[in-house]
Amino acid sequence: MRTSALLMGLSLLSACEGRQSVLNPAGRDAQDVLSLIWVMFGGAVLLWFLLGVIFVYVTKVEPREMPRRWGEALIIGGGVIFPVILLGALLTYSLPMMKPQREADEGLKVHITAEQWWWRVAYELPDGRRITSANELRLPTGRRTGLVLNAHKVIHAFWVPALGGKVDMIPGRETYLSFLPEKPGVYRGQCAEFCGASHALMAFETVVMTPEDYAEWIEAEASDAAKPASGEAYRGAEVFAREGCGGCHTVRGTQAQGQVGPDLTHVGSRKSLGAGILKMTEDDLSRFIAHTEEIKPEVAMPGYDHLTPEDLRALAAYLKGLT
Amino acid sequence: MTRVHPLPTAEGPYPPTEEMLNAPVFEAEQERGAKELRAAWKTPEGWRYVTAVNNSEVGKWYSLTALAFMLIAGLLALAMRVQLAFPGMTFLDADRFNQFFTMHGSAMMFLFAVPMFEAISILILPAFLGARDMPFPRLSAYGYWCFLIGGIFVLGSLLFDAGPKAGWFMYPPLATKDEGIGPDIWLLGLSFIEVASIAAAVELIVGALKCRPPGMRVNIMPLYAWYVLVVGGMILFAFPPLIAGDFLFELERSFDWPFFDPTRGGDPILWQHLFWIFGHPEVYIVFLPSIAIAAMIVPTVAQRPIVGYSWIVLSAVGTGFLSFGLWVHHMFTTGLPQISLGFFSAASEAVVIPTGIQIFAFVATLMVGRVKLTLPMLWIAGALAIFVAGGLTGVMLAIVPFNWQVHDTYFIVAHLHYTLFGGMVFPVIAGVYYFYPFFTKKLMSEKLGLWAFWLIFSGFNITFLPMHLTGLMGMPRRVFTYPESSGWGWLNLISTLGAFIVAAGFAVFVYDLLRPKKAQGEIARNPWGAGTLEFSHDVPEEAWGARSVPHITSRYPLWDQPKLVERMDAGRYYLPDAPDHQRETIVTSVIDAKPVHVQRVTGPAWITILAAIFTGGAFIFPTFHIYTPAIICGAFAIVCVMYWLWTSTARPPKEEMREAGLGLRLPTYASGPQSVGWWGMWITMLGDATAFASVVFGFFFYWTARADFPPEGAAHPVGLWVAVAALAGVAAWALTVAARETNARGQVTLARLALVLAPLAAGAAGVAAWAAVRDLDPTSHVYPAILWALMVWLVVHLAAGVLMQGYCLAGSIFGKLTPRYDADLRNVTLYWHFMAVKALVTAAVLGLAPGWLT
Amino acid sequence: MSDIRDREDAHEFRTEALSLWRITFAPLIWALHFVASYGATALVCAKGEAGAVEALLLGVILGTLVALALILWLGVQAWRQWDPRRDHEWENDKGTSEDRHQFLSHAGFLLAMISFIGVVYVALPVLLIGSCA
Repeated sequence: MRTSALLMGLSLLSACEGRQSVLNPAGRDAQDVLSLIWVMFGGAVLLWFLLGVIFVYVTKVEPREMPRRWGEALIIGGGVIFPVILLGALLTYSLPMMKPQREADEGLKVHITAEQWWWRVAYELPDGRRITSANELRLPTGRRTGLVLNAHKVIHAFWVPALGGKVDMIPGRETYLSFLPEKPGVYRGQCAEFCGASHALMAFETVVMTPEDYAEWIEAEASDAAKPASGEAYRGAEVFAREGCGGCHTVRGTQAQGQVGPDLTHVGSRKSLGAGILKMTEDDLSRFIAHTEEIKPEVAMPGYDHLTPEDLRALAAYLKGLT
Repeated sequence: MTRVHPLPTAEGPYPPTEEMLNAPVFEAEQERGAKELRAAWKTPEGWRYVTAVNNSEVGKWYSLTALAFMLIAGLLALAMRVQLAFPGMTFLDADRFNQFFTMHGSAMMFLFAVPMFEAISILILPAFLGARDMPFPRLSAYGYWCFLIGGIFVLGSLLFDAGPKAGWFMYPPLATKDEGIGPDIWLLGLSFIEVASIAAAVELIVGALKCRPPGMRVNIMPLYAWYVLVVGGMILFAFPPLIAGDFLFELERSFDWPFFDPTRGGDPILWQHLFWIFGHPEVYIVFLPSIAIAAMIVPTVAQRPIVGYSWIVLSAVGTGFLSFGLWVHHMFTTGLPQISLGFFSAASEAVVIPTGIQIFAFVATLMVGRVKLTLPMLWIAGALAIFVAGGLTGVMLAIVPFNWQVHDTYFIVAHLHYTLFGGMVFPVIAGVYYFYPFFTKKLMSEKLGLWAFWLIFSGFNITFLPMHLTGLMGMPRRVFTYPESSGWGWLNLISTLGAFIVAAGFAVFVYDLLRPKKAQGEIARNPWGAGTLEFSHDVPEEAWGARSVPHITSRYPLWDQPKLVERMDAGRYYLPDAPDHQRETIVTSVIDAKPVHVQRVTGPAWITILAAIFTGGAFIFPTFHIYTPAIICGAFAIVCVMYWLWTSTARPPKEEMREAGLGLRLPTYASGPQSVGWWGMWITMLGDATAFASVVFGFFFYWTARADFPPEGAAHPVGLWVAVAALAGVAAWALTVAARETNARGQVTLARLALVLAPLAAGAAGVAAWAAVRDLDPTSHVYPAILWALMVWLVVHLAAGVLMQGYCLAGSIFGKLTPRYDADLRNVTLYWHFMAVKALVTAAVLGLAPGWLT
Repeated sequence: MSDIRDREDAHEFRTEALSLWRITFAPLIWALHFVASYGATALVCAKGEAGAVEALLLGVILGTLVALALILWLGVQAWRQWDPRRDHEWENDKGTSEDRHQFLSHAGFLLAMISFIGVVYVALPVLLIGSCA
């Protein structure tokens, strides 16, 4: 029940439709493929109609006998010569197109490990620093960023349609992908390999920023967690500590150093909650914490519905404040 | 090979002259022959009906059962479409939805698509070939009963909320880690299909190559026979990798041997390779026999022979081969090197060419002929329209960067349904309308057929055409719901509405199919004016298939050979009677269809049902980890099979020669490469060898893919025992060969001695193989696990080989096997040739590879 | 009246015991070329040292030329046996040994053609992509 209420109540995280669409590219790789798509699609429609016209002609318009030579010419011309040339050309054009998404990064690498059902994210800067985050990806425009992908238990897949093709995330193996984002904005990505009960609820926001904004953001992200700024948030921090949340979650600069669940150091600044399925509001925060298993079937985190509404509100205020 | 008592060969005039064919058959003669045939081919009545093995009965049950499973899988789809009609629906929760999509795919592929093609072949292939039945009727029946039991069990799991739920391709580690019994049930269902499919491959290859009517050389064989011959071959090389994969999967589930567990050296990608090496040819295995139906219907519609017969043969064989080079296109996103992906992209485009050629051949035939549009042709037209669309999206999907965007999205769902509906469902329905008068002498309703067509055709496109866009807009597969903000809601709603239209269309079709048609009069035998042999059969009145087996001189005998049907009906041709009240058919040579011998085919039996039930038990009990009853059932199944073989195959004949008609005298017993049993063994062993090769491939795959294979300081198999196993295995083989040779020379005592020593040698080989690896712990790492797996494989096959040697020994002692009638021993020796190679390869991997690799 | 024991080798066309297999030779070469190319690539990309990739590309190109030459040879043989210019008869649909003989060579020729195309296609990645990335 709550799942439905939450999901149906999910309002647009951004007013723009097609944030998860192949047809709305925001990066070089997605743009290149889209041009090819239009050509192929146009060609396919044309060929289908052509064959349809021939078929209707020989069965309805002119059902009488025609010379055998014509039939044989159709088989050789249509069945062999034409496809050999067309497909050969298509292959020759497209085979080199794989290269860009496998190209090395130009300074920034992001390590993403898929869990059931969330994303472990770690930015590896040129100076060697590693900044841990979760459930959201931020990239600068104009530069190719490399994504080093892995998975913890089962196979997942990483996909941001607006930026490029997808790659599987396979336990025990590292896979690699790179993007060259071009249009700043917020795009949605989703897991694209069935990974268990909550596969449909494993998504994330990708925020593409200009290099200047990005430099600012990454420094903020590298810093320790913000201190609670209100009385309620302060109480929330106490609830956090008391309930042992730090056993699974990390909040840098506090006692909470758990690795089992997502890093919460700057959770309040993320665009979405629960791996792309809820809004980053205090309401959604309290509902998610209280009813985790109902919202995300079979998830590892238990629901904290034994907390009082005041405690939940305080906790939500605290987490929202971790910007 | 000097045989003491060579078997007789065919004698008499051949081919029959016009003069011989013109000679009349006397009334009395005709009646006698008809009466004898009727007695031999009588369909059992009452409760004995279930013991029938005639292809007309088994084919009917098989297709109706496959249809039922398809309808159930269709209902699952409807439920899913309801759930997806709006964002955030709670009609099905996540778990149930996941079970439904898994079962929809699995049931459609394993309980409908493949069995349906087998069912149709069983029903009509003998008819195309003027044969009375399939070459191994009890095997078909056994396959059917296994299929029924397995299918009910697998689908039934849904009722207990215990269905598999990791997708129809069950990727580990998700599927191997699942704590429920879902994956085990899935594996079970698969096992039955694998058994039934290998059996089908045997029947189709032997049927198409050895059971054609005299004179039907390969160049005038019906195209359907060419297609199923290719498909039989494909099954032999496609299913075994899956069997190997299942073998490893089940070992991991039951005993925790870490084949797909990366924390202990395993690799989930191996499963993907093995599965898709099967999975891609599989869809062509489903497509080719269905489009073969089109190849039979189009000439009738054009009222002329097919244009481009050789082109279509090229198409079938070429597609068959090329389809084995496509499998990684299901794995383009797994991070493999670009060049590797490129190979598969190229091959995936290459296969489009032979696939397209046959379609152009059909169009060319229609172009050159005088087209008479009928209801079956409408369905074929719909099939082509839909299939070509699916093929065109396939061309797009073979392009890697595009694939990277739309893999695992609704675009793929659209593509696969377009190719499967267009390539299989529509042609099969066309076949139902076309062949219905063949097996019942009634027509289905033209009006209802039109309604069904337009409902299904339009509903199908309303459902699946939008999915291309849905996928491009970012909707992944296998999601039980989606957010409102995605913008996919309207597309999903349209698809859901379309699904109900399709359902309505199927309701009309199924009603038309199953409704009682007693009030309809019977029509003439060949309502469409077809040219091929099936319409010479007098079903359903007579169960004998062809009244007499004709001599064929044309691709379209009913058009080109005057008085053919008249002469067949009069019993002018071959085997017009059954003096021993036995079921018989003629076995002919592979290329030129010259008569070689008369083959007794089996009749009604309880033993096949019993064997299927015990086989069922042997597979079903382990699903619940109840092992003792499983072993008992397995033992009984083996006993049943051996009884069946003993009583009805390769029995020394009463009469060595038979008057086969038109002056020809044919032998009644065949041994060695002449005999269908030998062919059956060869074909099965090719499949088995492929499965074995797949397990060995697994070993080398781990070495390529993992740096820690073998792991540091790993224990290796004991070289001495490996050597003993190899030697003992070769000795067992040599003794079996010696038994065959001495037996053929009349030295029966020596032969029996060899047959006593051979199992002992085999037993020693098995024990030695076990001893070689027994100190390695297969649960610790995939290296010892794969070595153990190879050992288990070898030991199981040695055991089967021992049973066979024992069977021959018993045969020799009890008079079934003599120096002259030694088919059993020749077949068993053939098994042992393969066994020897297997023993040597296993020994090489266990003994030598560790040294080379480290 | 002829007898079943008459062999047709008395005339021009022998009963071709192997010929049904023969039509599969060209596709078999394609298959071997494919497996060898893919297998070698997988091995080299997984286990090879830096210089091995050039050797691989060279090897695949050589293998391609060999395969194409073999298929061409098979195709020419099949063409000669089929001999379409002699009787302008492509259908070969009579139940005679001559038609059967020509049909098998026609089928063999067509399969050589498609195998040739297949080998060329499969070689394209090696020419167009140079690395193991």
